[in-house]
Amino acid sequence: MRISHKSRFTTLVGAAALVVASLSAVPAHAAAVGPICDAKVPVQTCQGTTADGAPYVMMVPANFNGMVALYSHGYRYNIDIPAGIPVVGGYKVTNTPEPVPGGNPAVANYFLSQGIAIMGSGFARQGWNLDSAIATNAELIDTFKKKFTKTTKVVAWGSSLGGIITQSLAEKYPTLVNAVAPMCMADNISAELTTAGDFLWGLKTFFDPTIKGGNYSAGAAGNAEALGDIVKVLTVMGKLQAGVATGAWPDSSSATGKALAAAGIPSRSALLLVGLMSGLPTQSAHFDSISGPEGALKLTFPLAVSPALAVLENGANAAILAILATQDVELQAGGSVFDNSTTDYAARVADSSVIYNAALSGNTAVTAMLGALSPANPGAPRAKATAKLTALYATTGKINVPTIMMTGVADPITPAGATQRIIDKYVDQYAAEKEAAQKASYGTTSYQTPKKQLLAIWSVTPKSWTTFDAAGAPVTTAAAAPGTNHCNFTTANYLTVAKFLVDSGKTGTLSWNAAAMTAVRKSKGLLVDPEFRAPLLKFYGE
Amino acid sequence: MKSFNRRKLISASAILAVTALTATAVPANAFSPKSEVGVSQTEIKLGITLPMTGAASPGYNKVPAAMKAYFDYVNANGGVNGRKVTLVVKDDQYVPTQAVAKTNELILKDRVLALVAPLGTANNKAVAASVNPGKRGVPVLFVNTGFSGFADQKKFPTTYAILPSYVMEAKIMAEYIKDNFAGKTIGLVYQDDDFGTDALSGFKSAGVKFAATVGYASGSQSATTAAGWVTKLKAANCDVVILFGVSSATAAGLGTAAALKYAPQWILGSVGGDATTIKASGVPAGVLYNAVGASFLPATTDTSDEYVSLFQSIYSKAVPGSAFDNNVLVGMNSAFVTVQALKAAGANPTRASLLAAIDSKGSTFASAALLPLNYSKTSHVGYNGYWFGKYSPTGDLKPDGGKYTLYTTDSGSGAVVKSTWKRPAMPAKGLPN
Repeated sequence: MRISHKSRFTTLVGAAALVVASLSAVPAHAAAVGPICDAKVPVQTCQGTTADGAPYVMMVPANFNGMVALYSHGYRYNIDIPAGIPVVGGYKVTNTPEPVPGGNPAVANYFLSQGIAIMGSGFARQGWNLDSAIATNAELIDTFKKKFTKTTKVVAWGSSLGGIITQSLAEKYPTLVNAVAPMCMADNISAELTTAGDFLWGLKTFFDPTIKGGNYSAGAAGNAEALGDIVKVLTVMGKLQAGVATGAWPDSSSATGKALAAAGIPSRSALLLVGLMSGLPTQSAHFDSISGPEGALKLTFPLAVSPALAVLENGANAAILAILATQDVELQAGGSVFDNSTTDYAARVADSSVIYNAALSGNTAVTAMLGALSPANPGAPRAKATAKLTALYATTGKINVPTIMMTGVADPITPAGATQRIIDKYVDQYAAEKEAAQKASYGTTSYQTPKKQLLAIWSVTPKSWTTFDAAGAPVTTAAAAPGTNHCNFTTANYLTVAKFLVDSGKTGTLSWNAAAMTAVRKSKGLLVDPEFRAPLLKFYGE
Repeated sequence: MKSFNRRKLISASAILAVTALTATAVPANAFSPKSEVGVSQTEIKLGITLPMTGAASPGYNKVPAAMKAYFDYVNANGGVNGRKVTLVVKDDQYVPTQAVAKTNELILKDRVLALVAPLGTANNKAVAASVNPGKRGVPVLFVNTGFSGFADQKKFPTTYAILPSYVMEAKIMAEYIKDNFAGKTIGLVYQDDDFGTDALSGFKSAGVKFAATVGYASGSQSATTAAGWVTKLKAANCDVVILFGVSSATAAGLGTAAALKYAPQWILGSVGGDATTIKASGVPAGVLYNAVGASFLPATTDTSDEYVSLFQSIYSKAVPGSAFDNNVLVGMNSAFVTVQALKAAGANPTRASLLAAIDSKGSTFASAALLPLNYSKTSHVGYNGYWFGKYSPTGDLKPDGGKYTLYTTDSGSGAVVKSTWKRPAMPAKGLPN
């Protein structure tokens, strides 16, 4: 039965919500079950669990056209968080399946209305689950094909951790997918933990030496330590915010921090240095590092204050994940994985200390702050844990199938530089493919230029976005600017990616034409331009 | 899902305008970088970022008009191989993040062939780190900063310095002090960033001993902070003080010292000796009187110089009523050198041919400077020397004894020597062949 009436898809969305509610009760590590389908029209919903116990949901329209879109959700914390912990208190670990980003009904309807099925699992374990999630997805695709034998095309997409799961799936099992779309894609775990570790290390060294920042104990004690860190980090950030204007340091600051304070270095300079050495963007949801209030601070604010406020805002966004991801990966690796004993922070900030020199209070202050960052090596257990960490799957960045990436240029958690690195690698890959095709065609007339398979869509920031109230204070209550925050995409943005994904899945190639340009333009806030470059992270290659 | 408020919609629309323009300019295969952007049958498009508004803009904001005046003069005389040269000007307010955004606009929206004379060490560093013109093959011509690092071809492969480096300036200044103020107690005020680091490196290389050194963080200069400098310099009995900072720091230093009746022999770095900026800050140009300053171009009041004479004539017609000062001369000279680079790049210039032309022929380019350009395949160093003089009561820098004595050196450990180079005659009518 052909389904086309819009209102019927509104009903569909309600069904999706019900699925989510019921599946939250599916126990983990159940044997493979299902799929069990309700046979409803216009869309039937099937549920089950994979062999590793990952619950999943499939939504298949009656006019199924043979294509299914597999979505992989982002990072979910792997421990319950008691009420009372700021920001995330009351969180319970869940493996609720997510067949489209955030359960977005408009996105679900986009696929279903044209006969495309959607599916997604909640994965068997939360936290950093790249290896197991790839296996889960591969099994899920197989299960779907067996159940719906009309299946001819599989496209996959995902956000954040789900982005790297998607990319990795295409790397490891290129024949399983016809096109993929990693969005706000996480970097490899080693890179993500470098940012997290350096940021927490900086906060600990300057502002609160009681922050553990890693090397958490096993079991419940480790959970308590991590949760304690969340409280401490958020508390110290609150104090830093209070001291931005005056430069006052938190009362919890280390002896080193107090010495820097006594030398007249404002706390905001130290905070900015921590952000810069960690790779956090200096633009955030409400701070563009461009605008200043009218009057005496017109130039001083963007030069000397705004970059630190941006780091503060981005750091607050990233800190909880940094702590809980560090704890989770340590658990998997068997110990601490952070080691900055050979990190050259001075080299890391060599360029940015020129660019943000005014905000860092000058070279003398930079030298003093860098001198206070005494690197540490947790010792022999770290080497063993690092070896295990290395054994976890890491993307190579190889592009095997048509790939559409969407990335915010100032995402504080999955940095734009990670996408740029993939793009740069692909330039080399494509050059090699072209050379190989040329060699293969020697003596024949059959040479064909290989088709390019990577399209980068950037979610870009406005020209400026910091606003000020009548007293000249920055306003932080507005919605986050496009291009900032983590995976800060609109429905229109998702639909644009979905359209490219479906088209590429159907044809097996990326098409860039007038219609595609129009789609990007209408989506607002997006940019496709091969000449755009995001800065690579400074610790690449260390 | 995030919703847009009205203001953000407007902002997003602006971005979309960029996207739209970009999209129409991109061929169907948008997956590979384009070449030969910024050049049409009738036009060569260049771009510049610098502070046009705000506290850092006085003086510098005259540069684009000066460059345009010269480009228009060339355009009126046939252009560059029949193409007119246009300059897209973007105001970065002297904020690095804004410089990044504006440079991206120049490259992605305006599709300029090259960036020319972008201003500021921090801003150029920010652009290099975030926009990465080197990786993109976008020429960054004749950067308006003396930071020695921009001549590093490995790090900045498409960037060309033009100003003598701050290291060179400090080394030459040290030689001048040795010749003219031997035995005096020397003090130094410097900007505590790479600008100042370059200077410290040059002074150290020259063996200068300071009785007092005062570093100030960029942006912290004010009458209040300058009073602290004066206290320290006075306490050290400095009778010669070098102000190696930006003009606003010079203004703060000279103005405050005058108010506190402290009158050492001042020596001003080339960046901080701009009378236009100092006057704009409210300090009378008279405080500059008898201070020592440095330049690599002829004095702006030297109408016997053929370049000064021609450029003055062109500028006065293009921008009537605007004073012909060193900012104007620097801007017109940069435009003059740029035109030669474009001509040398061939009948149909590309980014690659422009870079190759400067590497192969740049050292032969004519210019108003009293020192040669040092470009080659292995050098992106521009000028390499200075002459010294004193400021008149009206703030004009004039050579000692009415004669230019040029010193030259490098950014390394090379000696400071008197230059024997003679500037070739200006091309007829100031129009390069």
